[in-house]
Amino acid sequence: MAQDPLQQTYDAIVVGSGATGGWAAKRLSEAGLKVALLEAGRAVTGREFTEHMPSFQLKYRNHSPEVMRTRPIQRQCYACMEYNYEWFVNDLENPYSTPPDRPFTWQRLRILGGRSLVWGRQSYRLSDVDFKAASRDGYDVDWPFSYSDLAPFYDIVENYVGISGAPEKNEMLPDGQFLPPMKMSCGEIRLRDSMKKTFGRTVTIGRTAIVTQPHNGRAPCHYCGPCERGCMTYSYFSSPFTTVKDALKTGNCTLITDAIVSHVDMDVSANKARGVTFVNRTTKETKHVRGKTVVLCAQALESTRILLNSSTQEYPKGLGNSSGLLGHYLMDHVVGGSASATFEDMQASPSANPPHRPNGIYLVRFRNTPAEGKHPHFIRGYGFQGGSMPDFNMDAAGIGADYKKAVKRGVYGVSLGAFGESLANLDNFCEIDPNLKDAWGIPALRISMAHGKNEAALMRNA
Amino acid sequence: MDFPVQVTQASSAHSQAHQTSLSRRDLIRAALLSAAASVLGPSFSLAQAIESGLTPAARGEDGAAYLTDPHWKAAFLNDHQNETLIALSDVIIPATDTSGAKAALVNRYLDLLISVQPSEFQQEFLAALKFIDSESQAQLGKEFLELSLEDQTWLLKPWAYTQQSSHWTERNDPHAQPADLAQQHFHRLKTLIAAAYYGSEIGQKELGWDGEFTHGPYEGCEHSDATHS
Repeated sequence: MAQDPLQQTYDAIVVGSGATGGWAAKRLSEAGLKVALLEAGRAVTGREFTEHMPSFQLKYRNHSPEVMRTRPIQRQCYACMEYNYEWFVNDLENPYSTPPDRPFTWQRLRILGGRSLVWGRQSYRLSDVDFKAASRDGYDVDWPFSYSDLAPFYDIVENYVGISGAPEKNEMLPDGQFLPPMKMSCGEIRLRDSMKKTFGRTVTIGRTAIVTQPHNGRAPCHYCGPCERGCMTYSYFSSPFTTVKDALKTGNCTLITDAIVSHVDMDVSANKARGVTFVNRTTKETKHVRGKTVVLCAQALESTRILLNSSTQEYPKGLGNSSGLLGHYLMDHVVGGSASATFEDMQASPSANPPHRPNGIYLVRFRNTPAEGKHPHFIRGYGFQGGSMPDFNMDAAGIGADYKKAVKRGVYGVSLGAFGESLANLDNFCEIDPNLKDAWGIPALRISMAHGKNEAALMRNA
Repeated sequence: MDFPVQVTQASSAHSQAHQTSLSRRDLIRAALLSAAASVLGPSFSLAQAIESGLTPAARGEDGAAYLTDPHWKAAFLNDHQNETLIALSDVIIPATDTSGAKAALVNRYLDLLISVQPSEFQQEFLAALKFIDSESQAQLGKEFLELSLEDQTWLLKPWAYTQQSSHWTERNDPHAQPADLAQQHFHRLKTLIAAAYYGSEIGQKELGWDGEFTHGPYEGCEHSDATHS
């Protein structure tokens, strides 16, 4: 029997086992540190993946009343399904509040690997156009580093994770360490060529964290389609089967699941963290882990909640909040500006059979570029994700045998949706709601976030 | 030690495969599994039962069995509504050289689906079904169920051709409701019936699904010129 993991003092405690926590645990334990990795949910195994289960085997075909009842917020994301909803938090047990006129959808998972199990996998480098935007348009401040400082770290991550994509030599979207790109459809090639010819804009195949050849012990994508339900060959990047696995392999990392961290414990005399307190998810017992360093990787809002809940007499506003700005300048992508159309002149020939490419195309940002100059109505910009594939036409007119035929004849559609930058704004923030606790008695967040005029102008333009 | 899950050298849970006769699908699955197992080595095993945290799908339950239960009883519809729905779905999606809506148990799935929807949705569905009967009475003097197949088709067809042709089509607003009340009712029923049919195993096979979940990489456009035709 191993030592009781709660009777040790760790060099580092990592809170959260998702994309970030997995990396922290891997790097620290490979460097020889003794690490405790805390995850609020349970462990996950490939045995529970459902990516090959046809939807007619779901009793409600993804309209389960249990999901509607227990995940009214989580289910607003397509990835929360009748297949896998238990990976997502139960909204009834994990409340947060928002002002009535400022709704905010907070997608959260409590399971080993967190959101890395269900993420969209699109992986793009930022450029100095992003990092130094403030110097160009005067809003806010530049990032404290340049692309060249960050590029070596992008290399490390991409070489390990495995990003498939195509180099484009576009200054808005630096190229990376790519595995072979996925292929484009006829419709996408038409769109790419006409975008280049008509507007000089770049359309590239999505850069995605899915391996297209054997990579670091993972088999290439088998093109079944729905990555968000898990992958038996671990072809898309998720932390349990990569970084967390590596961390545990060192023998230096102890994984503690079902540990919902409520706050950081401070050693007041030394003015240092000395561990964390957590509530066991199933027994609801309160426990402590001791460590010399605490790394919060519990997701932006959840980590902020832990810091705000760590207030003491010395730190009445929470840890790391002497400025009073903790939780402020909350940012999220603004999405919208979508367009769809059909290629009327292209034969559709849709197929119900795989391969189903789990990736789309990307139209690189073309507004407020150094080449184009300043746009009169807004600063910053947006890119588009989308795709073009033949599809069955359930909306065909008619009834009877004619309708069945028309459905199969299909349509060759194309669609694009914009993802824009949201500006930092003091008035977008989270704080502890004094009247709200989760099912484990931990004070919950009040989130107040809305997009402003610039975001609206971006999406109108898109 | 009351909570941790430790990592062991357990073999992949997937490798405890199960079938007695190997289909092509099983062979592909086995090949993928051995590829996964051989390169991954250690995988997570569970030191405690986690059944309570699994969805029915993750437990491997076949939810479709509900529809074929010999003791099936409607959860929401009364007998007349159910029979009307069966007849209606089979006019909209009849058996041709392939099976139709009736064989796909479209009525049973829709009964279940509607039983768990908000009451506004339920009332709209019932109003649409009732509308079919009242129009049938008004135009042909009988309830829909009592009409010949020819008359049923005659009644429905005018409502089926003026709606939008495709949700992809730019010039149409995909969320626009047909202006005409009759078309609205019919469109609501047809959309549900089509989703229930093409979402069934029979419907998937009608679309050509061969039961496989992989056929290798996506090869994309293979045209040598720019015509893509």
